[in-house]
Amino acid sequence: MDKVFSRRNFLLGGAATAAGLAASKVVLPQAVGAASGQELCTVLDISQCIGCEACVEACRETWQATVPDPVTPMPQPFPQRVPIQDWSKKKDVQDRLTPYNFLYLEHLSVPHKGQEAEVHLPRRCMHCMNPPCTNLCPFGAGRVEENGVVHIDPEVCLGGAKCKQVCPWSVPQRQSGVGIYLDILPEYAGNGVMFKCHRCLPLVKEGKLPRCLEVCPQQLQSIGPRQAQIEKATSLAKEKAVADGSGPDAWRDYVYGLTENGGTNTIYVSHIPFREIAAAIEADHAQRRGPGKGAAQGAGGGQGKGAGVTKGGKGLRTGASGLMHMHPVANSMENAENLTLALVLAPLAGLAAGFTKLFGKKRGAPPAGQDAPPERRGEKGGA
Amino acid sequence: MNGSANNRYSRWLYFLAAGVAVFSGMGQMPIMKRYYVADLPLMAWSQDFFINSDLHYLSAALLLGLLAWRLSLSSRVVDQAWSWGPRSAWGWTLLTLLFISGVFKVARNAGVFLDPFLLMVLDFVHLGSAMAFMFTGLFALIARSRAKKRALGPAAA
Repeated sequence: MDKVFSRRNFLLGGAATAAGLAASKVVLPQAVGAASGQELCTVLDISQCIGCEACVEACRETWQATVPDPVTPMPQPFPQRVPIQDWSKKKDVQDRLTPYNFLYLEHLSVPHKGQEAEVHLPRRCMHCMNPPCTNLCPFGAGRVEENGVVHIDPEVCLGGAKCKQVCPWSVPQRQSGVGIYLDILPEYAGNGVMFKCHRCLPLVKEGKLPRCLEVCPQQLQSIGPRQAQIEKATSLAKEKAVADGSGPDAWRDYVYGLTENGGTNTIYVSHIPFREIAAAIEADHAQRRGPGKGAAQGAGGGQGKGAGVTKGGKGLRTGASGLMHMHPVANSMENAENLTLALVLAPLAGLAAGFTKLFGKKRGAPPAGQDAPPERRGEKGGA
Repeated sequence: MNGSANNRYSRWLYFLAAGVAVFSGMGQMPIMKRYYVADLPLMAWSQDFFINSDLHYLSAALLLGLLAWRLSLSSRVVDQAWSWGPRSAWGWTLLTLLFISGVFKVARNAGVFLDPFLLMVLDFVHLGSAMAFMFTGLFALIARSRAKKRALGPAAA
């Protein structure tokens, strides 16, 4: 991260925290809904973000200590090619996602209408409505709460990093040398615990606000029932589109997260079309990764299913660098949702075929399995 | 097609479906890449969790279709007449557990909200009963093979 931002952030941090605490009293009633269990969605108006990183600091202050330090020495996973991932000596890193840093800010210079627009935006877990990270976790460590929070249970997670591989943004980050895998087969199964933003679940359950939202001096984030938040984001996006000279019909260009991955509970609204922001992010990440490390190289560990850069597909993977892209993302769970119909129809088809055979038998032919002695048809084949 | 042929084809379909279901189910754990399965020729796809998920759904659909077909004929065909599928209460219990836990997991994947703790329990029930089913099936196949050899006598050895 640029040091320029860090200096400014330091100066702004104190004022930001004070202002945020005062402002939080205004929006607190919205968060009370969190305790009632209804699905809550956050809307971020990034045109308001000044890049102070008060949210990042508050997140780190509140949650970094909850991530344990690894055992020493850490068990070397078998085979040797399985990497140990240790961020415990780099806890100060806050310009990307790490196991000890659930939120970071992008600081961008976005070419827009012949000028360079300064854009800052917080990045963290999108909290998808139907998240592949939790749905596909084979051990149930991934959780979706009724209030829309997607989180990982560190007591159950084995650190296989499947969640990171199926996440379109590769959000979860692994810390090796911690967690329950140490008590099972540390060399042969698991490799730590995956950590990511849980949108301050313990606080939200008490009806409090997430810390990033609470401390923001600009109050660029709001939280509330999903439907109301969608209406708010839509209305705001239309205003932005008109102000940018695109017309209200172009409002979808100014929204991100509404339909991504089938819909998320983190909706960004911008004063600049997101395709331009996505391009700026991509260029920035390529620069930060260094020469010769393009998006493909940054894709380490990604599944790359339909990983088109512009079309989104199942997501452009930049997860190896802990940096999130902002391209359109198709619904990762779409196939599973569609194949559900096949699972419903298959037994019906089987029953229909069987009854048809029985019905036919009444008119002549013997049913399957009765026209020859059992011993001629083979023996036990299953359990 | 007579009943015997039907039974033979369904036997192969059953083994295909069960085999793919077990493999793709194992592939839901992050082991294919770690343990070099994906490095085998033509097996690179096995590290793709989405492909494994699709295969798991398709093989489960085939299994459900076959079992429903068998169930519909149960009034006319005794269990011993089938050359595939469980023959013991234990086997049917495992299949039932797999079915029930699978239904909940499919519902979750389709976006239905379920209690997170319940889902974790179901995950372990699904995993545990699948492992038990796999090992029981392997044991049954080995036992059958030995019984065959014994029945044929020393000449077969």
